[in-house]
Amino acid sequence: MSLLEARNIKKSFGDTNILKDISLDVEQNEVVSILGPSGSGKTTFLRCLTMLETVDSGSISYCGEKAVSTEGGKCVYAPKNDLKRIKGYYGLVFQNFNLFPHYTVLKNLTDAPVTVQKRPEEEVTAEARELLRKIGLSEREDRYPHQLSGGQQQRAAIARALAMKPRILFFDEPTSALDPELTAEVLGLLKELAEEKMTMVVVTHEIAFAREISNRVIFMDGGYIVEQGTPSDVIDNPSTDRARAFLKKLQAQAEPGRQSLHPPVDDN
Amino acid sequence: MKKIYMIAVSVLLSIAAAVTALPAGAGASPADNGTFTVGFDAEFPPYGYKDDSGEYVGFDLDLAQEVCNRRGWVLAKQPIDWNSKDMELKTGSIDCIWNGFTINGRENDYTWSIPYVDNSQVVVVKAGSDIDELEDLKGKVVAVQADSSALAALTSEDAEEDDLALAASFADLQQVGDYNSAFLNLDSGAVDAICLDIGVASYEIESRKGFVMLDESISTEQYGIGFLKGNTELRDQVQETLLEMAADGTFMETAEKWGLSSSVCLDKDTVIQDDTSDPSKEEEPLWEKLLYIVKSLSEGLLSSLAIFFLTLLISMPLGLVVAAGRMSKSKLLSAIVSIYISVVRGTPLMLQLLVVFFGPYYLFGVRTTSAYRFIAVIIGFSLNYAAYFAEIYRSGIQAVPRGQYEAAEILGYSAPQRFFRIIFPQMVKNTLPSITNEVITLVKDTSLAFAVSYTEMFTIAKQVAAAEATIIPLFTAGVFYYIFNALVALAMNKIEHRMSYFR
Ligand SMILES: Nc1ncnc2c1ncn2[C@@H]1O[C@H](COP(=O)(O)OP(=O)(O)OP(=O)(O)O)[C@@H](O)[C@H]1O
Ligand SMILES: [Mg+2]
Repeated sequence: MSLLEARNIKKSFGDTNILKDISLDVEQNEVVSILGPSGSGKTTFLRCLTMLETVDSGSISYCGEKAVSTEGGKCVYAPKNDLKRIKGYYGLVFQNFNLFPHYTVLKNLTDAPVTVQKRPEEEVTAEARELLRKIGLSEREDRYPHQLSGGQQQRAAIARALAMKPRILFFDEPTSALDPELTAEVLGLLKELAEEKMTMVVVTHEIAFAREISNRVIFMDGGYIVEQGTPSDVIDNPSTDRARAFLKKLQAQAEPGRQSLHPPVDDN
Repeated sequence: MKKIYMIAVSVLLSIAAAVTALPAGAGASPADNGTFTVGFDAEFPPYGYKDDSGEYVGFDLDLAQEVCNRRGWVLAKQPIDWNSKDMELKTGSIDCIWNGFTINGRENDYTWSIPYVDNSQVVVVKAGSDIDELEDLKGKVVAVQADSSALAALTSEDAEEDDLALAASFADLQQVGDYNSAFLNLDSGAVDAICLDIGVASYEIESRKGFVMLDESISTEQYGIGFLKGNTELRDQVQETLLEMAADGTFMETAEKWGLSSSVCLDKDTVIQDDTSDPSKEEEPLWEKLLYIVKSLSEGLLSSLAIFFLTLLISMPLGLVVAAGRMSKSKLLSAIVSIYISVVRGTPLMLQLLVVFFGPYYLFGVRTTSAYRFIAVIIGFSLNYAAYFAEIYRSGIQAVPRGQYEAAEILGYSAPQRFFRIIFPQMVKNTLPSITNEVITLVKDTSLAFAVSYTEMFTIAKQVAAAEATIIPLFTAGVFYYIFNALVALAMNKIEHRMSYFR
């Protein structure tokens, strides 16, 4: 049984079809990276999977429990109580962290487990401190989010998601709001999680990182999954022109590209 | 949480309904509940005004007290806004108007007692001015009190030809709110003369220095007690006792006490001509006067504080309910709430207070009482401020980034948890500066309760100013408001500081 089974997801905003027909299964302990050009629908796809957005048709189940199904062209969501339980199976880490500004770092981690999951506060606090130790923020548990660097904020946001003990964790470009020097610390944490066999789906533009941690890489474009396979298949030997062009552009940006933003003065 | 607010609101409304309903039918006649409520303009000495000890006193109130003593009634003295006197009478919040109330020109508007004072309208000018007779008023600026007998004598349809011509010869006929401001105007030269009742003129000339009365008078007129048209039963009772008092000399004694023996006209045979002996005190030292002013205002301040805190207590949570309605997914609810907000924001608060106070009678025929006055003030203020707070809350909520809702949603918070744990604290922080503004405005707005004759600090300041013939009380009231607001600002500053731990 797959942890996540998404079949034939379709989603449009008004007249524009964003997701045309996307299916994705994720197994326990699998790390899946999603690549694709801007506007290809990666965020929309994650938002549909995490039910921040409703799908137009298709089906989604977590751990064998149906959250959405489509029968006879009609899309039906599970009853409220079932959905509430299913939502407990996954977590989402946002591009811009979205920590709660009025809570301390520790409280950001403990509030939902205590008030939503109704777990005992001492136990939750102890676990949260352990998580903070792991991400290197023990010293900062009483700080407020605005007192942290971007990288620290994103690590705290990841810890907040982990404190809920999800079975699968989604990341939407977790490092794209960060300076390059802060990116590494967050990617390092993701790598650790991958080594601990956390099941993850990561939308990212960091190719080297995707190659290193993923079991599977997916290339999305124009509302479809264009290619998928092992990192070496998709990244090193893409079979479609679109993937090739996209990867080439990304690599160009990643390596000497940065300098090309500032052309030498003597060109003028 | 929402439930609590709903309960609070409905409790308030039912209290209002209960108070309104209780004396229904009883307010009509004092015989039913034994209370005789006299409506009077508390800025009209010597007939009815606030004296140095803060009591409402005067010739008319003394007469009313004696009538009540003899009849075994309890006297309730109700100072009213003169412009609202008819509404007060019709709604039953007062039983009669007894206040140097001129019959002439209003013969058919009330059920009248026999006249007990015959009064003339005279002209007061600054001592040593070049105005000696009526003719000299040509081209001058003349002041009268709004809706006063002098105004009627000079401009109403029933006015004498001579008087109309006289009024036409003035450069301007200015209406002022009360005699205190009229005399301040005259003193400062903003007006050249004041037309007013002879009784008031004598009193004012006595207590102020440097004014004189012209020998020529404009008109003669009579005072009576005005009852609701058709209420002859109560009129007859009061009048019978008044005649009794005239017969046994009590009436004349009272008139002498107030220096009105030359104007009263009941039982003229027994009139003893003597100098108008002023019953009032000798000059008191300034600090005693100040002490009295501060003491009077402090009492009024309690009423202002009551309005302030009750309004905040009700309107701040009520505003949340209104904001919820405004942002509701139901188009109908949202539209209704929008209309409510725009009406409240688009009309003067003073008008809203009048509607809440007089509305029950004029819209639904429900008679109200004096006790409803305070409730009306609180309802009016709360409804008004709830609308403003609702708009502030709404913008504060909308300023919270979408990501906060989504993060809370992903973490599984229920909708109420999401609002009260995550959004609300951020909203409060976003809106604190606007809320501070609103609270400071409320401090000053409490003075608008005078519109329905609720005696808060500013009303008392005006009354004391009129009685003492000085503007010190108004100035002192200003100082009080300023201190009140300084404290409010300090408190809000503290709260803002306490909220600065996050961004
Ligand atoms: N709520 C919305 N309403 C209308 N259009 C939307 C909405 N959200 C996204 N879109 C459109 O859907 C398309 C896909 O957007 P999406 O954010 O999923 O792309 P993406 O692959 O995540 O891109 P990027 O790499 O820039 O983050 C875009 O053209 C976007 O304009
Ligand atoms: Mg995106």
